[in-house]
Amino acid sequence: MIAIAAVAAVTIGAIGLGVYGVRFARTTSDLFVASRAVTPWFNAAAISGEYLSAASFLGIAGLEMKLGASALWLPIGFTAGYLALLLFVAAPLRRLGSYTIPDFAEARLGARRLRLLAAVLVLAIGGLYLVPQLKGAGLTLREVTGAPYWVGIAVVGLVVALNVALGGMRGITYVQAFQYWVKTFAIVLPACVLLIVLGGLPERAALFGRELPVAPQGGARIVLEQRTPVVFPRAATVRVDGVVVSAGPGARRTLPRGELVVAAGTTLPVGEGIRAQTGARWSRPVAPGGGTASPLFVYSLLIATFLGTMGLPHILARFYTSPDGTAARRTTVRVLGLLGLFYLFPVVYGLLGRVLVPALYVTGQTDSVVLALPEAAWPGLGGELLGALVAAGAVAAFMSTASGLLVSIAGTTSFDLWPGYGVGARLVRFRLAAVAGMAVPAGVALFARHVDISVLVGWAFALAASTFCPLLLLGIWWTRLTAAGAAAGMATGALTATAAIVTGLAGGNGGSALGEGPVDALLAQPAAVTVPLAFAAMFVVSRWTRPPRETDAAMLALHLPDGLGASAMR
Amino acid sequence: MPRPLRPARDELAEATSHGVLYLRRLRRAQLSLSLLAVTAFGGLLGALPLALYLLPGLSRIDLLGVPLALWLVCVPLFPLFVGLAIAYERRAEALERAFRALVGPDDDAEP
Repeated sequence: MIAIAAVAAVTIGAIGLGVYGVRFARTTSDLFVASRAVTPWFNAAAISGEYLSAASFLGIAGLEMKLGASALWLPIGFTAGYLALLLFVAAPLRRLGSYTIPDFAEARLGARRLRLLAAVLVLAIGGLYLVPQLKGAGLTLREVTGAPYWVGIAVVGLVVALNVALGGMRGITYVQAFQYWVKTFAIVLPACVLLIVLGGLPERAALFGRELPVAPQGGARIVLEQRTPVVFPRAATVRVDGVVVSAGPGARRTLPRGELVVAAGTTLPVGEGIRAQTGARWSRPVAPGGGTASPLFVYSLLIATFLGTMGLPHILARFYTSPDGTAARRTTVRVLGLLGLFYLFPVVYGLLGRVLVPALYVTGQTDSVVLALPEAAWPGLGGELLGALVAAGAVAAFMSTASGLLVSIAGTTSFDLWPGYGVGARLVRFRLAAVAGMAVPAGVALFARHVDISVLVGWAFALAASTFCPLLLLGIWWTRLTAAGAAAGMATGALTATAAIVTGLAGGNGGSALGEGPVDALLAQPAAVTVPLAFAAMFVVSRWTRPPRETDAAMLALHLPDGLGASAMR
Repeated sequence: MPRPLRPARDELAEATSHGVLYLRRLRRAQLSLSLLAVTAFGGLLGALPLALYLLPGLSRIDLLGVPLALWLVCVPLFPLFVGLAIAYERRAEALERAFRALVGPDDDAEP
């Protein structure tokens, strides 16, 4: 009940601030003027607030619980992406004054068709990133209220689409900054309190030793909502609604619907796509052999996240609230600090979850470990309050990211792909695009129920790193880039990355059920191959064609330090 | 909205070759700085998975009951990011100050 109230409060707060934001945007003649008063710290909190998504709040701990410590490279990559942004992109792009990648493509290379290609990619990446946010919404509302999975998607999709369509999410720096602190508080406080209540990490043998996940003291009672295929890693006897199921080691069984009862200390069966691992293996960040702990996969993931962050459609747009290039740089440094603070804590949930809510291994719903943990670790009012807090944090996470993404998607659709003439027509199209831009990912989210949040996000990063990263890096730093080269590079990156992911999916790579070979690792996370390919294509084709007339002017705008007009060049 | 580029372009045409030369030099200096930073960072971050892969013993050393390998992945990189970012920010701003002094020695409007 407390959790429902907390979730409702955050949702109503978002709607209320959205409505308030509309008035704010109308009374302030120029949002730029208002934002000049925003300090780098405030701005950094806003950027971090928009960036910390369901993948960070729920996905990292979920994937850690499922796969092991190899999932912990994700937060490192998510943060490192801002370092790439700082070193190569933030200040020059702020000076040029382009806030979307299609804008940048046209300002730098002067090609209208390139703008369209970039716009299509914005939709693809934004859509792919929106699906896991909605999946997080479905999981959270089911965990909190017991409502079916689709209800959360419908409710949150509707709220966010309405908010964006009514123009409420524009320029609300303060709301996003507030959301950062909500999320950080909601992940830090329960982690610390639970560690204190439990007196440190329990059951080290299960975490770092030889044990497989077992039913905790008092046994496990797990409600199976549907027929569930499982694998028994060790011989075990369990009961489902009183019917005895015995299985030898390695046996596959399909458990019927009902209540599964496992006696204390019995090794749990694991759901499809999950590999039962001993604690020693589970807690290794890199390990020989295939799967997500293989060095090849780890490096590919780090490349995708390091280079992909700058290409996420909702990221660059936030930098416009910085008054100039220097401020953009200072803001990014602070973002690195704020993200680092947040990312110290999801690991705690994965560790505790392995011991305290191992039932999730049976159902396969490890993505909900953050939500389920507080009450399992600390039965009673305390756990319930902490549970309400993490639920509120999760809602803040997918609301803020989904809103940012949808603004980008709707903006790109209504300005680049389907431009209307006149303010009225533009507004109507923006609103229609917001509704459509939410409906499609929501439909996909309904079917992507068994794909992990962080796996979906990994694909969005791979696509962004293989297309927009070369465009931005070469566009900002290389005078010989041409429109044809940029188009060739982006097309190469997009096609190869998509082909790899689709091939992997068709071959049964659920992302977590990863095959053993190096090819499987690269099909699941293709960035290590597709990013160099995209760079190469962009470079080679550019050498064959002439740089556009705009090059010198754009380079001047990108690199002339703040406070100097072009006249200072005399 | 992209800033209108036409006026800047016209002014550039009038600019002396000195300003253009200095700006090109600044751009190259900034790029070298960024590449240096990314190399240092890439070396440190890139070495970590390799070190953990080659030295599985790090998973057997315990620190406060948690394997050292896990500590190394979870904690030290984040302050390292911030430290590197601050060092880079200082150098980049110093380069810009030097450029300002170069193109506008009589212009003391800059702090």
